[in-house]
Order: sequence, then structure tokens, then C-alpha cells
Amino acid sequence: MKQLSLLAASLMFSAGVLAGAADNVSVQDPYVRLAPPNAPATGAFMVIKNNGDKDVKVVKADNPVSKVTELHTHINDGGVMKMRPVPSIDIKAKGEAVLKPGSLHVMMIDIKTPMKEGDVVPITLSFDDGSTKQVDAKVVRPMAAPMPAAMEHKH
Amino acid sequence: MVERILIFVAGLLAAAIVGVALFWQPEMPERPLPKAVIAAGGDFTLQSASGPVALQNYRGKLVLVYFGYTFCPDICPTSLAATAEGLKQLTPEELARVAMIFVSVDPKRDTPARLAEYVDFFHPAIVGVTGTPENIAEIAKRYGVFYAEQKVETAGGGYVVDHSADTFIVAPDGQLVGKMAHATPPDQVVVAIRKYLNQP
Ligand SMILES: [Cu+2]
Repeated sequence: MKQLSLLAASLMFSAGVLAGAADNVSVQDPYVRLAPPNAPATGAFMVIKNNGDKDVKVVKADNPVSKVTELHTHINDGGVMKMRPVPSIDIKAKGEAVLKPGSLHVMMIDIKTPMKEGDVVPITLSFDDGSTKQVDAKVVRPMAAPMPAAMEHKH
Repeated sequence: MVERILIFVAGLLAAAIVGVALFWQPEMPERPLPKAVIAAGGDFTLQSASGPVALQNYRGKLVLVYFGYTFCPDICPTSLAATAEGLKQLTPEELARVAMIFVSVDPKRDTPARLAEYVDFFHPAIVGVTGTPENIAEIAKRYGVFYAEQKVETAGGGYVVDHSADTFIVAPDGQLVGKMAHATPPDQVVVAIRKYLNQP
């Protein structure tokens, strides 16, 4: 009986941990870009929507396919693209973060086994309050997509 | 008095015309290089998996030149995928008159064999080349390309190479005539290629 209540307590506790930022977040169109042969790293992209009333931060990402997973962005410095790690991806209340090529991305470094088109990579996003969310991202071939840099001509 | 107003109006008009001439930038798929700061470009010979590749051997063809590296996790695949998609939209006759050279800015890690496999993933018309660090630095300088190894604080170790992400357009006569910005969409790549391909 004591064990049961302990179990109940721990269930409630874990439910308490799970509730939070992750519950208010939805993820759209997640995908991993198929790495070209010999490329040891690739990126995962998605749109992270915050449906809640509080700002949230993604502070960490994990995946089982690469040895290292990091949060990155690109800085376009006069045509020179500089990729840099970021401590977090911030998503304002009722806002969204767009992870896309040439911009914010989940970086998968040192891919353990080569991926194939159509594989699904489970990516776990961790939020600043400790809650987590798993996203299943499909592996797709690189495609031409509009980038921020390509839009600099639009006025 | 009337004369003064007329002079004033004329002055305004002149200023407007000069302003338009200076700042008017019609929507172009590529950024033509201003003559004053035009990068010289010019010929080079580098190594591919199937032997030396010399730009001067491509006379008669329009050559796209991109500077990147195979460890490049996002920028190169994005640019190459968009450009390759543009190449696929050309007619076979057009494609036969177009070549693309991917120059490694990471000669320490990129071998010709490694480059060959990498570029083939995007399009068979692309050839990957590398050379000595000095050789590549000299070519990059002529093309106005910046690149620098960065020890980025990643647990993944290694390094990333910051680099210019433009695709250079070398006309069939060997002249560097323009460049396309990073990730120029395929249809604009096609427009740019056709523009220079069909020039006398
Ligand atoms: Cu990255």
C-alpha cells in the first residue's frame, strides 16, 4: 500500500514535471536534411509554436543518430555565412521560432550511422523549465527552399 | 522670383534623377559586380578526383564557381541544392554549355575523392576541386572570397569554416561577370544562367 502511494506520488510528480512549457508547444513540419556523402553533420529544421501565455526557451536538443546535438544559428555577415551555437531558442508567448536552412537549426554533429531518405529521427527538445517534447523528424533530401539571404532583394 | 522657383524645381528634378540612378535596383536574380570593386576572378588549375581541372579549359561554357567545403553542415548543401535544382531546369542543350566547379576552402580535410562523392550527390555537372592552401588562398583572393577556420565551441570538436556563400558566374569567354547570393532560388538561377549564356 505504501509502495502504491509512492508510485502514485511519483506518477503525479512526473506528470508535474511533464506539464509546463512542452505542453504549450506544438511543432510543425519537422525534418532532418539528408547529409551528402562524407558530410559528418547535418541539420534538423521545424517550426516550434508556443501556444501558451508565457515565453519559453528550448535549451537543449538530443537525438540518437548523432554523437552531439547542438542549437545553432547563422549570421550573415556581408555574404559570409557564420554558423554559431546559441544557448537557447526563445519563443515568445503565442509566437513561433522558425528553424530553417541558413538560420536557426538543430545541429546533428558526428553522425553515427549514415541516414537514408525516409528514416525518422526522434528529436527530444528540452525546455527551460525541464519539460521535454519528442519530435519525429523525417529524413529528406536537400531541397531548394527560400532563405532569408535570398529575400534581401525583396523590397 | 519665378525664375528662382524654376531653377529650384529643376534642381529638385535633377536630384531626383541622380537619386534614382544611384539607388534604383531593379529586381535581379544576381548581383552584378560594381565595376569599381569588381573581383578580377581569372583562371586557375586545381585537382579533382579525375585529374587537374583548369578554368581555362572551359572556354565556350558558362562556369559557375562556388567556394565551400564538405564538412559544411548547412550553407553549402543549401546553396548547392538550389543551384543543382536550377541546372536541372535547363534544357539538355543549355546544360551542355554549363559547368560548375566547387572549390574547397578546407584543403586540410577535403581530398579530391571526398569532394567527388560530395558534389555528385547534388548534380553530375558539378566537379569538386582542391589544392594547396596557398593556391586556394590566392584564387579566393582574386574572386573576393572570404573564408576562415573557426574554432567554434562545439562538443563535436573540429572546426567550421566561415565562408562567402556566393556563386560566381564566369562567362564563356572566361570573364567573371556576376555572382548569385546564397540560396538563390532555382528559377532565378535559370534566369541568371540564360542571361549570360545567350550573350554574344
Ligand atoms: Cu549548425
